[in-house]
Amino acid sequence: MSIILKNLTKSFGSALVVDNLSLEINSGEFVVLLGPSGCGKTTTLRMLAGLEEAGSGDILIDGERVNELPPQRRDVAMVFQSYALYPHMTVADNIGYPLRVRKLNRKQITRQVVQTAAMLEIEALLQRKPRELSGGERQRVALARAIVRSPRAFLMDEPLSNLDARLRVQMRGELKHLQHELGTTTVYVTHDQAEAMTLGHRVAVMNKGKLQQFETPLDIYNRPANRFVAEFVGSPGMNFFDGRIDAIRAVFEGDGISLAVQNGLELYRGRTKPVTLGIRPEHVQVSTRQRDNYLAARVYVTELMGSETFVFLQIGQRRIIARAPGDFRAEPESTVWIQLDPTKTHFFDPESGKRL
Amino acid sequence: MKRLIRYLLIALALLAALTPVYWMITISLKREVDQFATPPRWFSFSPTLEHYADAFLARSFGQYLLNSGLVAAASTLCALVIGTLAAYALARFRLPYRLDRKLALWILSTRMFPAIVTAVPLFLIMRDLSLLNTQLSLIIVYTAFNLPFVVWMMRGFFAELPRDLEEAALVDGDSRLGAFWRVVLPLVTPGLVATAVFCLIVSWNEFLFALVLTQTDAAMTLPVGIAGRVTQYEIKLGVMSAAGVVAMMPILIFALSVQKYLVRGLSLGGVKG
Repeated sequence: MSIILKNLTKSFGSALVVDNLSLEINSGEFVVLLGPSGCGKTTTLRMLAGLEEAGSGDILIDGERVNELPPQRRDVAMVFQSYALYPHMTVADNIGYPLRVRKLNRKQITRQVVQTAAMLEIEALLQRKPRELSGGERQRVALARAIVRSPRAFLMDEPLSNLDARLRVQMRGELKHLQHELGTTTVYVTHDQAEAMTLGHRVAVMNKGKLQQFETPLDIYNRPANRFVAEFVGSPGMNFFDGRIDAIRAVFEGDGISLAVQNGLELYRGRTKPVTLGIRPEHVQVSTRQRDNYLAARVYVTELMGSETFVFLQIGQRRIIARAPGDFRAEPESTVWIQLDPTKTHFFDPESGKRL
Repeated sequence: MKRLIRYLLIALALLAALTPVYWMITISLKREVDQFATPPRWFSFSPTLEHYADAFLARSFGQYLLNSGLVAAASTLCALVIGTLAAYALARFRLPYRLDRKLALWILSTRMFPAIVTAVPLFLIMRDLSLLNTQLSLIIVYTAFNLPFVVWMMRGFFAELPRDLEEAALVDGDSRLGAFWRVVLPLVTPGLVATAVFCLIVSWNEFLFALVLTQTDAAMTLPVGIAGRVTQYEIKLGVMSAAGVVAMMPILIFALSVQKYLVRGLSLGGVKG
């Protein structure tokens, strides 16, 4: 079932929460709304569910305009951040609730509940109450309640954020697999860029109520539409330098570095306006020995991650991060040598933040 | 030492609360000669049930008991149904110009003037409606009297309940009323029970309006009936005490039977899942 948002706008009082948002979500697609808190992603989801009135614009589910439909008639299922399990009902009654209010007969409900529970491996819990379950189990029950009635779409509001880190990664995988199996259109809200990258077929990055970019995770990572996206997506985020491009020498200069520009130089020909250069941490080479064409930088601190090491570096006034191999070691305040990969640079307009 | 003081205080509180009750029970069981003995006979007297027989067989206290029960139960039920729905609306829906808050305060304000202020108007209204000396008049008045209390109590319980639960029910396909009935109400049961107990106690003990609005045995409630035994010529202490002991029982039994809800209801927040 396709979902289309057209010029969707919503404000609370004088605060504009969602600003002229347009999205086309294809049938069976897994779309992630990604953004910092307060960017309007949850409000967008709630408008889709019918829990929040759309200010202006259209919401179309399967070609049908649903703006005026109450939530119970939109036939979408929602998974809440808090899971919102009914505390006074058993797991079986929780999962069966959407069927019960649709007046299915008891036998049919039992069968579908058991079937769904089996899919999520929670058959053993059916007679328990939600408070007797662990966080991960509650999460599964909430998913089962959404799946059981085969809705037109799943709406998920940060469903993994209440789980501990290990469980979150595990559930992330299961969720992706489940959506693949069921093929149900899914809109997933998160502020965690790792979740967005791993789960979404496409990711819609939002900031301050505005859509920043809506593309596949790889495109967003490799070609961020603006500085906000570049900074927000990727962990750690992109490094930036402010400076200018000397088109004749084909060199970027600024913030204590100078770098030969190789990609898309024609864009900057004759340009003397300031630009912002962005480069991801993995495209910054670090070496403890001096090499040709390497710049000197001072180590601020290193963070061991096991498989890799994040090196925080000070270059003039700039602090940047480089991703080094796991066995890289350097003392704080020591000098190391770095090289920025000139084929992996991004350029942004320092005023508008837009990609050049 | 601290423990000792604590127990001492508890004992003192119990003494203050229970001595009158004990005195009432013993009077109801004493012959009249023992009732007025000096020094008072605390323990040694020959018990008799004559006052109970007098009250419930010779006099109409049985009818009063029935009236009280009917009036208290019916008014509590009405107040709970109306008040709970109103409280839910006030807790969940925002009205323009913050009318929801103002409305709630206005409802509470109806309890701010002394009850007796409304006694005369209510008497006239009931007279014109030909409802004097009926249980219905008391049911109406007590319902009105309990409503603000129900609205404010229940509003608090509803406000405590996370909105997510109702929203989940709505998205799951339930109607507003269905979500209220199947999800919200079961979760505020402890609060509902605590509120019901308070309403029952107020209605059961109410004296002023019962005195003004009912004069006949057919409609009179226990408090008025008991007070009526203080007459120009004699004060029937034994009968009054016997009726008092019986009057105490229903509320006591009800409160004990719902104790587990009562404790949870009074310590707000017991509804979290």
